[in-house]
This record gives sequence, structure tokens and C-alpha cells, in this order.
Amino acid sequence: MLLIQTNAIADALNSSEWVFPIAECFHIAAFAWSIGLIALVDFRLLGVGLKGESASQVAKATAPWTLLGLAVVLLSGPVLFLSDPRMYLHNPSFRFKIGALLIAIIFNYTIHRKVALSDGSSKALQAAVGVVSLALWVSVVFGGLFIAFA
Amino acid sequence: MILEFFRWVQSTDFMTFIRESGLTYPVIMSTHLACIAIFGGMIVITDLRLLGAILTERPIADVVNGLRWWKRLGFVIMASMGIMLAGSKAVDYYPNPYFWTKMSLLAVIAIHALIFRPMVYNHPEELDRTPLIPTRAKAAGALSLILWTGVVCAGRLIGYYEPPGQKGHVVSVDTTK
Repeated sequence: MLLIQTNAIADALNSSEWVFPIAECFHIAAFAWSIGLIALVDFRLLGVGLKGESASQVAKATAPWTLLGLAVVLLSGPVLFLSDPRMYLHNPSFRFKIGALLIAIIFNYTIHRKVALSDGSSKALQAAVGVVSLALWVSVVFGGLFIAFA
Repeated sequence: MILEFFRWVQSTDFMTFIRESGLTYPVIMSTHLACIAIFGGMIVITDLRLLGAILTERPIADVVNGLRWWKRLGFVIMASMGIMLAGSKAVDYYPNPYFWTKMSLLAVIAIHALIFRPMVYNHPEELDRTPLIPTRAKAAGALSLILWTGVVCAGRLIGYYEPPGQKGHVVSVDTTK
């Protein structure tokens, strides 16, 4: 039953050759937007970039815009996935990407958020959180691209 | 003329190596994309600040000056990766309309810089002196957002171009599954 349904969605998505590329453009532009804004917080935690502002100022200012970008990413992603669910589910890069994405999102809205908003954390902790965040999001992007190669 | 140049670029040892070694190409492409993600936010926050939509309690000069060299570094890394990606498959890129769309948009961005650097980006302190953000700064920010989004989309679409006679080699959709 589930397979029939997903096939119906896949057929609808595949009925026009433009649905997939357009969804992909939204996906890429929105992840550049949202990950890029998170990276600004990471860079600030590492002591570079927007040094005139505190980490909490950067985090607070970017938060609503980051969420907007993530919403577009998380809406366009399933459109891509549903075009061929079976291929994606069996693709090791896709599995890696989803795992990294879940960890990145949880990290972003727990530890990352807490450390960025409290400017009192030690420099070492701030730097460590910035590096982990950057590494997680870069892994998500690499995993996403390698879906097409593995 | 251009095609001959592209043919020569693609035939160099360096570009041949990138094209023929299995993992190099996707790793360069992932780095290109990761740089878009890491450095894209710097363009977004600068443009949103010029539009008066973010960090409004902080000076425009802080945002523009704080990120200037990081944006340049990001651009150099991204462009280097881009030259390797396009250069190693230059002959395939030559007839691709999306590639030329992307190059044209980058040329427009260069013109944008020529116009708005002296008017906006090189003197952000002046923008902080007036109570309202000057129209020229808002125009610079809005155009920048539109142009860079266009570059990202055109860049992705390069992968969808099917040369005549090679239909279906990229987006092969099997509806019988």
C-alpha cells in the first residue's frame, strides 16, 4: 500500500521534467542561505568574521532567517526523495546524509544554540562548538552531493 | 576560437587528471558546494543588512567591513573549484546554455561590483550616518541577492543539459518501477 502511494507521488513528480530541477534549485539556494547563516555564528564562535558583534547578537539576529531557510530545505528535500524513494533508501550516501543532518539539526538547536546565546562560555568551548557545527554541515553537503556518485 | 581554447584547457595534464581520477571530481564538486553553503551566508547577511532586515541595531559598517575579506577568500576558493570543474570538461560545457547563463550572471555581478563598490560597499560608514538606509544601498543588496540566487540555480542546471543525440543521460526517469 505504502509502495503504491509513493509510486503515485513519484509519477506525479516525474510527470514534468522540470519539477526535480526546480526543487533542487530551491534546495541548494536555501541550504546556502541557512547553513551559511549558521556558519556565520560558527565563525563568530571561532573569533572571526562579525567581530563587532557578540556571538549571541549574531545568533539571535540570524535565527529567524536560518529557520526560514531550513524550512525551504526540509520542504524541497522530500520532493526530491519522493521522486525515487527506493533508490534513495538504498543509497549509502543518502543514509549518511540523513544521519548527519539529524545530528546537525539536533546539535544546532541544543548545544550550539546554548553556547552561542550565552556569551560567557570559555573560548575553547566556543571554538569547539563552532568547529563541530561546521564539520557537521559540511558532512551533510558532501553526503548530499555523493548521492549522485555512489 | 573559444572552442579551441576550451579544447586546449581540457587536454592539459592537470585537467585530464581531474577528469580521469574517480574521486577527485566529486570531491572538488562537493567542496564547491560546501563553500557555497559556508560563504553564502556572508552575502545573505550583508544584503539583508543593507535592506534593513537584519541586525538593524548594529552599524552597517560592522557587517560590511567584518566580512569583506572572508567573502573574498570564499570567492577565490569557490572560483578555483569552479574552474577545475568546468575546465576538466570544457568541451562538454561549451555548448551548454546554462553554463553561459551562469558566466553571464557572474559578468553582471562584476558590473554590480564596479557600480556599487564606490557607491556603497567601500564607504559603509556613510550609510550609518543617515537615519534611513539610502536607496542605492537597498538596490545593491536586493540585486546582489537576486543575482547570486541566479548563479546558484544556473550552476545546478548545467548538470541537466542534454546535448542533441544524448537524450536521457542525466535525468533518466524510469516510470515502470
